[in-house]
Amino acid sequence: MASSLENLETQLEMFIENVRQIRIIVGDFQPQGQNVLNQKIQSLVHGLQEIDKLKSQVQEVHVPLEVFDYIDQGRNPQLYTKDCIEKALTKNEQVKGKIDAYRKFKAHLLVELNSVFPNELTKYRAIRGDERPLT
Amino acid sequence: MMMADQFRKVEQYSPKSSPRGARSPVVSRQDSTGTLKTTISLGKNPSIVHSGPFYLMKEPPVESELTGATNLMAYYGLEHSYSKFSGKKVKEQLSSFLPNLPGMIDTPGHQDNSSLRSVIEKPPIGGKELLPLTSVQLAGFRLHPGPLPEQYRYVNQAPQRKHKNKHKKHKHKAGETPSQETQVTELGQDTHEKKHKKQKRHDEEKERKKRKKEKKRKKQKHSPEHPGGLTPSQHSSG
Repeated sequence: MASSLENLETQLEMFIENVRQIRIIVGDFQPQGQNVLNQKIQSLVHGLQEIDKLKSQVQEVHVPLEVFDYIDQGRNPQLYTKDCIEKALTKNEQVKGKIDAYRKFKAHLLVELNSVFPNELTKYRAIRGDERPLT
Repeated sequence: MMMADQFRKVEQYSPKSSPRGARSPVVSRQDSTGTLKTTISLGKNPSIVHSGPFYLMKEPPVESELTGATNLMAYYGLEHSYSKFSGKKVKEQLSSFLPNLPGMIDTPGHQDNSSLRSVIEKPPIGGKELLPLTSVQLAGFRLHPGPLPEQYRYVNQAPQRKHKNKHKKHKHKAGETPSQETQVTELGQDTHEKKHKKQKRHDEEKERKKRKKEKKRKKQKHSPEHPGGLTPSQHSSG
């Protein structure tokens, strides 16, 4: 997969370079440059053919749509990765906090229930298969 | 036999009374031990729990192996990526990600119809075979000699900001304020003279740096931290 992406990248870079050269030729056109321009146009078509050939090799690549918004706004797409990682980390910490809080709450509730309804709690814990002593 | 009795009992109750009311209509109240009580939960995973004296008791949800309690960053081996992005400041512009791309790519895509969104929303016509142009088709690309009109000349030309900034800093170090520079231009001095001045200043600075470097080298030779000396680890072992 990595090599096919590299191939595509190379082809795209070559295509862009070709366009850039055409821009220079066209920018200050000289009569003797017509043949070169024609060759460059043909190589554009060839470049498109090469890129088209590579599309089957990159079918499995999934790109998140949100990353396009970053690129369209002229922003570095690595910022998207950074934001995603930071969001995931924050969410991970939040969920861990919730889980820990519920665990503590459960333990505390069992201790308190045990002091008020000791018989019921013994039965309850027997049903749950939890015979460990309460702390 | 017992089951049949239970079903009969259900039928005796009015359908209006909720089975989840204060008293369960299914379970008889006389059972003080609570051993016969069961809770039947339907839904995706129907289950029967012998709930004893407890109403509406269900099987606890199956504990999944992976939850938010684990450090998912470490679990998926993304710590390296995290430290890579959190440690250094990622540059904001798209051009810093694609430095070799010609043209102004930092402007919003919708301004020049180059947005990737538009490719998704209005996909281009595809599926046709790409063929090289015939000589007749190429005739359409025959151009007139001469430069492009002014308005098209600088379109998509990448601004060379980085270089400019560097140069400004350079000037600042030399002890000249940028305002002085603008004043000079305003006075309308010969550009050639200006270039010459710049060159002179540049040479002067080069020499100054060279001298500084030499001084440093001399100092290093005498200092204990000189690369030729022992490193701290070598010190400890030796």
